[in-house]
Amino acid sequence: MKRLLTTLACALSLVAQPAKDYKSLKFPPLREVKPPEPVFFTLPNGMKIFLLEDHELPLISGSALIRTGNLFDPNDKRGLADLSGQIMRSGGTKAKSGDQLDEELESVAASVESSIGESNGSVGFSCLKENLDPVMAIFRDVMTQPEFRQDKVDLAKTQARSGISRRNDDAAGIASREFASTVFGRDTPWGWTIEYEHIDRIQREDMVKFHRRYFFPKNVILSIYGDFSADAMKTKLTSLFGAWDAKQEPVPPFPEMQKTRHPGIQLAERDDVTQTFFEIGHLGGQLNEKDYPALQVAVNILGSGFSSRLLQTVRTKLGYAYAVSAGWGAGYASLGAFQISGSTKSASTTDTIRVIRKEVEKMRESPVTPEELKIAKDAVLNSFVFSFDRPSKTLNRMVVYEYFGYPKDFLFQYQKAVEQVTAEDVLRVAKERFRPEDFTVVAVGNPKEFGKDPLTALKLPIQKIELTIPEPQPAAANQGQGSALLKRAQDAMGGLAKLEAVKDLESTAEVKFLMGATMAPAKQRAKRIFPNILRQEQELPFGNVMVFSDGKTGWMQSPQGMIALPPAVTQQVQQDMFRQAISLVLSDGMPSRTVTSIDNATVEIVEGANTVRLTFDAPTGLPAKISYMTSPMAGAPNEVVETYSGWKAVNEVMLPFEYTIDQAGKRFAEGRFTSQRINSGLKVEDLSKKP
Amino acid sequence: MKLGRLPGRLAVSVLFLATTLLRGQSLKDFEKTVTEFTLPNGLHFIVIERHQAPVVSFNTYVNAGSVDDPRGKTGIAHMMEHMAFKGTETIGTKNWPLEKKALAEVERAYDKMQAAKNKAEAAKAEVAFKAAMEKADDLKIDSEYDKIVEQNGGVGLNAGTAEDATNYYYSFPANRIELWFLLESERFIRPVFREFYKERDVVREERRMRVESSAQGLLVEKLLMTTFDLHPYRISPGGIAEDIENFRQPEAYAFFRKYYVPSNITVGIAGDVDPKEIRRLAEKYFGRLEARPAPGPVKIVEPAQKSERRISIEHKEQPILVIAYRRPDHLDKDDLALDVLAEVLAGGRTSIMYRELVRDQKVALAAGAQPSFPGEKFPNLFLIFVVPNMGKTVAGNEKASLDLVEQIKKEVDLAALQRVKTKLRAGLIRRLDSNSGLAGDLTAYHVAYGTWKRMFTDIEELDKVTVDDVKRVAQKYLVPEGRTVAWTVQPKEVK
Repeated sequence: MKRLLTTLACALSLVAQPAKDYKSLKFPPLREVKPPEPVFFTLPNGMKIFLLEDHELPLISGSALIRTGNLFDPNDKRGLADLSGQIMRSGGTKAKSGDQLDEELESVAASVESSIGESNGSVGFSCLKENLDPVMAIFRDVMTQPEFRQDKVDLAKTQARSGISRRNDDAAGIASREFASTVFGRDTPWGWTIEYEHIDRIQREDMVKFHRRYFFPKNVILSIYGDFSADAMKTKLTSLFGAWDAKQEPVPPFPEMQKTRHPGIQLAERDDVTQTFFEIGHLGGQLNEKDYPALQVAVNILGSGFSSRLLQTVRTKLGYAYAVSAGWGAGYASLGAFQISGSTKSASTTDTIRVIRKEVEKMRESPVTPEELKIAKDAVLNSFVFSFDRPSKTLNRMVVYEYFGYPKDFLFQYQKAVEQVTAEDVLRVAKERFRPEDFTVVAVGNPKEFGKDPLTALKLPIQKIELTIPEPQPAAANQGQGSALLKRAQDAMGGLAKLEAVKDLESTAEVKFLMGATMAPAKQRAKRIFPNILRQEQELPFGNVMVFSDGKTGWMQSPQGMIALPPAVTQQVQQDMFRQAISLVLSDGMPSRTVTSIDNATVEIVEGANTVRLTFDAPTGLPAKISYMTSPMAGAPNEVVETYSGWKAVNEVMLPFEYTIDQAGKRFAEGRFTSQRINSGLKVEDLSKKP
Repeated sequence: MKLGRLPGRLAVSVLFLATTLLRGQSLKDFEKTVTEFTLPNGLHFIVIERHQAPVVSFNTYVNAGSVDDPRGKTGIAHMMEHMAFKGTETIGTKNWPLEKKALAEVERAYDKMQAAKNKAEAAKAEVAFKAAMEKADDLKIDSEYDKIVEQNGGVGLNAGTAEDATNYYYSFPANRIELWFLLESERFIRPVFREFYKERDVVREERRMRVESSAQGLLVEKLLMTTFDLHPYRISPGGIAEDIENFRQPEAYAFFRKYYVPSNITVGIAGDVDPKEIRRLAEKYFGRLEARPAPGPVKIVEPAQKSERRISIEHKEQPILVIAYRRPDHLDKDDLALDVLAEVLAGGRTSIMYRELVRDQKVALAAGAQPSFPGEKFPNLFLIFVVPNMGKTVAGNEKASLDLVEQIKKEVDLAALQRVKTKLRAGLIRRLDSNSGLAGDLTAYHVAYGTWKRMFTDIEELDKVTVDDVKRVAQKYLVPEGRTVAWTVQPKEVK
């Protein structure tokens, strides 16, 4: 008997007792959350500051929000804000190159990053508490003194071009981009597309100007979060940013969005996908409008979350799609988009669109059920606590509310409004704001596999989306042409072998140059050892100046005496060596240089921070002129144009014997070589000898 | 001033950092917030107290993944994951006894469809099958499981099937802890695999989206099949299309019975909780799970690779390149050195691949390295991937990458090694900031290494990795005979 009982007990224990019904569970009230109160103050220079202490982990992070955005991009230089935002950090500061910043920051596992999006810019940092001072100093310098070094400008532009070349790789990406472009206005900054030509036009100087215009204290809201004391941080910020006094006119409002309708289907054909990616919808609304809470509830019931109607029908009932969701897009200060997104197998493309439209219509025809309403509202209200699960979320909200001029308790107002939403409200806003007849439908897929139910069955106008990317104008694709121009010049100057054999060049010239209002005479003797050693002796009206540079160090003897060569002059010497015609025409064989053709007679040559445009004489193929910008540290940048003429052979190499130099369109100098010698066996020891 | 390879000041400051980092975030301090227990049936719980806000995150780690897919049933672990959201005998049904019969009828109708001898019979059987499904559908409550979670303020409800494991996770307000216990235990005690054949289409669709519509997805699929001859790492969790299209409900249920046993499950709970209350609820709800034998691990041993393998696929998208090397599993003594190697090679802007390929040579838009792929519990792959810049070739990028691989065998910068150590150390601190991250991380470490503490002690072990270790593992594993190179090429007519 006993044995039997044990067996029975065993058998029973194998069948788990059912748990009670989940509906009978009683939940204790949730512990009240008290949102933290950030400290707020304004520095004397106008910069607004929010501080919030959190001592759980020894981390500190900060973020500056700047009123700017790619909405301010000039039409012909689309992408300027984005590139400026990247290069502010990557291009380094006045004191340190971007590479130095990478190294310093990564050595202490910290980061400083900058970016500019549609309607704001941001510079942020994150570090361990003990590295706060050096990291914040870098943060300040990135924001206030970015240097936009040319090598990083080039790198970012190369990457931006690659980004454009890859923009059609991802079918879902095509759908969302084309949808946004259509709905927000293809010809406006809200919806336009960045092409190669725009990137190619953007220059360092544009970014310097962009930065100057938008980065000033009154245009910044800075928030800092983490393991610090607010008092100490206040003192620190006052000293860090106290001297920053840049002033600019207030930033104007963002451009207005055009409110236009674009009903119909836009189809992008891809024959290499088995799915159609789609975006369906039209313009949405703003966060601070009275109906926003009801619209959120409505769109939740329609299509966000697991229990939504769209997921039920399209995914669960019909098995058409893995993903489908709807959102009521709303901006703080601009319109978002009402947008239904998803993907489905090719054959069910048309029916998916049909079913989605039908579900939207249903929202407009009859009230949602009390159960649906309760689930949607409960979901918002019960998960409300997750808006406060980290103190940093409260801080971020305060900053954003301040930026857009929203009331501090906006979130609580929203919570209250959601509580009060009724089924009638939902029906009313659905009728007023969901407009299926205005739907823009963007589909990216393979129409050959749509099968028996083609898109035409929907009886809507169908437009094809052109996916060809307009060819880059002067960019890398034209490198071939650039090289051809250089090769022709090499031949014209005596051939590659002869040119490559040139080790040194010694020259004497008589020069006239602009001094005050008159052209003053001078004599110049230069001894060069390629690629970067130069000794130059100049007889000028006010005395003799002698310079030597080996690329890194050097000296300068002038009537004021002998000094070590200042870095700025070293840089000028190196630029001068780089600009020698004999060196420029060999650029295609130098891995450190990139050659880009600008038109059928001009190439652009870039090496590090140096950029030169070289134009060739069409009949002979010889270099005719070069142009470049003077270094901006010498005041406002000017375009400099040098012309070459009077070509003569020296040791079977053609060299120009006459030249002119114009600055900002004005003649600055003209000169004539009285002699030029190649490979006379110059030695560094002799060149470096001080007088 | 003489510039040494490592400026003295930097070395000192890094060491200083290493010691101060542990203040407040040491294992000893963290340990105080962690409670562990194992139920008699073998189910293990790790509870992490964080009382900052009244919220809790849950992570159920099932030690079964696509490596456990039976032959011919690839993708079934993933299918099982989808079925875990379909409800139970009490959740998601209008009338369980009736629905049970209706679901059995669906299976019988399917059998008939398969047994059909001719077209006419097949068509008839298909009609009957659809009717049976509709009848069963009428008795279900749509997505009730999901609705309960959402309505009660749950956020982040989802799950993921990987090669090595399947994770189920979401977060609740702290007053709804018991609801999680009820829902989670019920779905692993008496799940109902309703809507199986419709969900099969959804799973098939997910594969279309993630794999078939993406060059990267297709390339990785090909790479794995090329480099693994036998081991189930050959096949991604997404499975083979034909297998998915033929799944049967009893097969998924058999997988559940075999692998979803308490001793094969670890639960992580992090947030505003009282460990005693958690234990009480665990015993009450999960104590009901029947103890069953743990499934054995995969026994298939992948034979050594003898020579380089190369594979390319044609795709319209811009090219990508992947270079994979065979490496041992996560328990190997070289594991941490391989982690460091990946970071030195391609972690951040100071890594040698970024500097060389992206910044200086400008041949790549991006470059990365991953120490373990696709899983880590079995011998796997050390992965290098490169996205060539516009106009730059895959071949050029391959050569440049392999040059760097050779370079790192000869020379590893001590400063770079220190940077990596500092970064991984600080990364640990940053991971302590999130309930859901902790619930996931600690369960994963527990299963992989037998203790969650490994997450902390690894950082100490990491400090012992030397420049020579990094060179040595590069020399040992990044060798041509262990290499598979995979890339995409654009068809001729596309520019």
